[in-house]
Amino acid sequence: MLRSLKTTTLAGVAALLMTGTALANPYADYEGTTLIVNFPAHPHYDAVMRILPEFTKETGIEVEVDQLPYLKMRERQTLELAQDEGEYDLIAYVVFSKADYVYADQLENLAKYFMNPRLADPNYDADDLIDGYVYNIGFAGGSKGYLEGKTGSLFGIPYGSETSVLGYRKDIFEKHGLEVPETYDQLLELACKIPELEPGMGGVASRAASGHHASHAFLLHLAPLGGRVFDDQWNPIVNNEEGVKAAEALKTIVDCGPEGSKSFGFGEALGAFLNGDTAMFLDTTVVAGQIDDPSKSQVVGKVGWALHPMGARRGSQTGGFGIGIPANAENKEAAFLLMQWLTSKQGDKLVALAGGNPSRFSTHADAEVNEKFPHMATFGEALEHADPDWRPIIPVWGKINADLGTTLSKVLTEDLDIQEGLDGVAERTRGVMDEAGYYTWN
Amino acid sequence: MSIARANRLTPYFFMAPAVVIMAIALLYPLGYMVWGSFKDWDPSQSIGEAEFVGLKNYVTLWNDPNFWESASVTLRFAFFVVSFEMVLGVGLALLLDRNIRGMSVLRTMFILPMMIAPVVVGLMWRYMYHPTVGTFNRTLDSLGIPGVDWLGQHALTSVIIADIWQWTPFIFILALAALQSLPRSALEAARIDGATAWQQIWYIKLPLMMPVLIVTGLLRLIDAFKVLEVILVMTEGGPGLSTEILALRISRTATEFRELGVAAALSNYLLLMLLAFTLGMFGFTRWQEARAAKIRTADEEDA
Amino acid sequence: MSQAYEKQNPAFYALLAALVFMSVGPVLLMFTNSFKLDVDITSGTSGLLFFPTIQNYETALCDILWYEPKHLEFCSLKFGGAFINSLIIALISTFLTLVIGCMAAYGLVRFRFMGRDTVSLTTLMVRMVPPAVLLVPVFGLWNNEFCLDRDGLVGGAIRDTFGGRGDVCLAGTHAGIILVYVAMNLPFVIWILQSFIIQVPRSLEEAARVDGAGPFQVFFKVVLPLIKPGLAAAAIFTFRIAWNEYLLASALSDRNTRTVPILIVNNMSEFNVEWGVIMATGMLLAIPPIIFTLFASRQIITGMTAGAVKG
Repeated sequence: MLRSLKTTTLAGVAALLMTGTALANPYADYEGTTLIVNFPAHPHYDAVMRILPEFTKETGIEVEVDQLPYLKMRERQTLELAQDEGEYDLIAYVVFSKADYVYADQLENLAKYFMNPRLADPNYDADDLIDGYVYNIGFAGGSKGYLEGKTGSLFGIPYGSETSVLGYRKDIFEKHGLEVPETYDQLLELACKIPELEPGMGGVASRAASGHHASHAFLLHLAPLGGRVFDDQWNPIVNNEEGVKAAEALKTIVDCGPEGSKSFGFGEALGAFLNGDTAMFLDTTVVAGQIDDPSKSQVVGKVGWALHPMGARRGSQTGGFGIGIPANAENKEAAFLLMQWLTSKQGDKLVALAGGNPSRFSTHADAEVNEKFPHMATFGEALEHADPDWRPIIPVWGKINADLGTTLSKVLTEDLDIQEGLDGVAERTRGVMDEAGYYTWN
Repeated sequence: MSIARANRLTPYFFMAPAVVIMAIALLYPLGYMVWGSFKDWDPSQSIGEAEFVGLKNYVTLWNDPNFWESASVTLRFAFFVVSFEMVLGVGLALLLDRNIRGMSVLRTMFILPMMIAPVVVGLMWRYMYHPTVGTFNRTLDSLGIPGVDWLGQHALTSVIIADIWQWTPFIFILALAALQSLPRSALEAARIDGATAWQQIWYIKLPLMMPVLIVTGLLRLIDAFKVLEVILVMTEGGPGLSTEILALRISRTATEFRELGVAAALSNYLLLMLLAFTLGMFGFTRWQEARAAKIRTADEEDA
Repeated sequence: MSQAYEKQNPAFYALLAALVFMSVGPVLLMFTNSFKLDVDITSGTSGLLFFPTIQNYETALCDILWYEPKHLEFCSLKFGGAFINSLIIALISTFLTLVIGCMAAYGLVRFRFMGRDTVSLTTLMVRMVPPAVLLVPVFGLWNNEFCLDRDGLVGGAIRDTFGGRGDVCLAGTHAGIILVYVAMNLPFVIWILQSFIIQVPRSLEEAARVDGAGPFQVFFKVVLPLIKPGLAAAAIFTFRIAWNEYLLASALSDRNTRTVPILIVNNMSEFNVEWGVIMATGMLLAIPPIIFTLFASRQIITGMTAGAVKG
């Protein structure tokens, strides 16, 4: 009580002082506020850290960042968001957290902020945000419950949009006269041909470590090969023909991958590519910055980029993060201002130039950004094929994901039969879904 | 208050803080856990809001093959770790039980691995086991031997090796202390009787050290069930479930799958397993002691 | 010791050297790597030829350095703060455990409060409980039950003085973590100290009592000074656990109370395995234990043997 009285008087005094000098400044009421935000340890958010001082300079709002690895970040948020009053004013969340948070009523619906003329910037241009990501990360309540649609509404804004692209070693491909793979058949053939051509070098570096990594790598192949985890009635179909094909693709890639592939997490897989131990890398766009950083990479300037190869269809992953305002935050309005600033055209471009992943079409087409990062145009094209439904975003997904990841790891390391393994996953998934009530209406 | 009364209350004053703290932060939580294991409990709920589901969590676990695999990994880990460390530690102690220069340096250096944080031990070994930049594979590479997939195919073995590195010294130091406190007269007598070194070890040293070795082994066994951080940092339980010991599974169930009720039930299973083990070991030693005593009396009667 | 050493076969010395190398080697490896750039660590060139750099330590300690390291654009790793948290938590919990444990051990030995066998059996039982088992209940209790209402008298006062939001709970405070550590370490400390207190001759205490000292004075002035070696051993072991523990601290700490082990595990982020910085943080965490080992190895060995050989 006392504290809030004090802050309002202070703000009042500040406002009085401002009226004489400044023109209308939408940030004036919030000057001196300190926002506490929770961001992941991730290259995009490292770039955000570089541009935050700019925000403070422009608005007078201080930002204190709590950076955590994203799985830890999720644990922390689970706890913070459940309390009556939370510590965080703005959070970045992983796509699959959206279901949990929205379902538990822990994220603010953004409508009332965009309706407020004092807060919403008329030049924001929301149509410029990449559609697939807004649907994937921002919306909930529409089709399947977790996507956009007539019943949906907005809970967050994508920030740090990644998709999958194929990075390849231009020098190796030139040396042996190889074609950049366009389809999955070509990709798999090349993956196993490279270790023969270049002894000691792997074909494709992929994540494969037990749990989330293996599951992620599998889903990466599942969408383009035409598969899905569930059909429209929520029946698990991960064990159908396409599912088996995706798992076979993963196994082929890992078997022909660099040494130690079977235990690679994302970091190790990327490390292998940076070290020159592998000719291709099929994963997220965030790595581009590190590949061009001579203090981390030995392949600077040798890497070319291509779209995620096509199987039955084009379908690259939609990953990355969104930012939203917790329902129990203290400074919601100031948090909205930060959110709006970060995702505005100006903020998006700044973060792109600092090495982040832009979320707007205009930034991908921007001349200055493309000059600094020539791969940006390819990435922009890849984003158009991004598949918002490559992975289900439902509250029980965490459990299914863990089971899938563990089973696939057994397929890779213990030679578990693929069909048998996936049948097991499907059966257990059905149980989980049944318990969660997905078959109530059948 | 009379002095006599104050004196009578003194023991309570001395004991009270310890009792209160252990009741609040150890016993009450354990009871709370048992209560929680009967509930369908999510981390965002308080225990009062969670739904009571009876034995469901226990039944789910009992039918879950992953639980059994995890339990078997735990038992295999504990068994191999304790037996290798006992053999190596006691062997080294017998070998090095001599009055030589440098012994104190050796002992000091040997303590080091035990004192360093498990998290740090985990990261050191994770680096050394790294498939390409790690020390082991690089050494093998320079010798022209193909590298080993340490944390992939041989993850459990690799984890066991790291634990042996860290804890063999514990057994070595205790065994050495036991050896050096053995009655000199018995050893002298044996030597005069012309017993070979092997006979001395087998018939005199080992039996006399037995009580200490049993306690040591038991302590190591208990600690082997507590290992978590080293494995967490090295493999996070993978690949597959090959290194996912129960302690790690509890922590994953609670934080990653967000099922506190199941995690509590899992904790109770682990406690029961440990209890069975400890009581079994106690019973076994008692039985052995009783048998030894019987043989001794029988011998005396014969004589 | 002045006695003559036995002459031994050189093979023994070779064995000794190999053993020392095996136990210290990994630590030395971490030490040298913490002074290398990541490129040097991963490039595979020989281990000894490199330019040592303190860059990794600068990255780790950036939040408490008086200057801004040139290679850093922003300071993301708040290692200095975590180091201070670790120190506060480890020192206070060691101190409390010793005082409380010492009193309890004395009470048990001197006043025949309970059968000694029952106590050593109970302590063994409690020692058996793995920290992972405490994770769930401690997480639930510390976050939801052990709380003071924010609108209540004490809770309100705490919020007014220290700031922060929501109800005042044990979770997220230093006190919360310290409480768990004290409880976890007490059984072990009581067990060790018992074996030392038994050896204190009763006659000394009786003499003091005749001179008019009360039971507490006897305890602090007569008994405590005599069991110093035991106290040192118990202190090192308690400190070790409080300093190194990860699991419970990670469940109970918040942004401001994170300890070093949590930071190290967090820093093994999947996007950026920065071996150099990780090794530097590991090295910093390992320094206190290494110092103890080098300067107090005798006490450590006493503590270990007292636990098993005498108990």
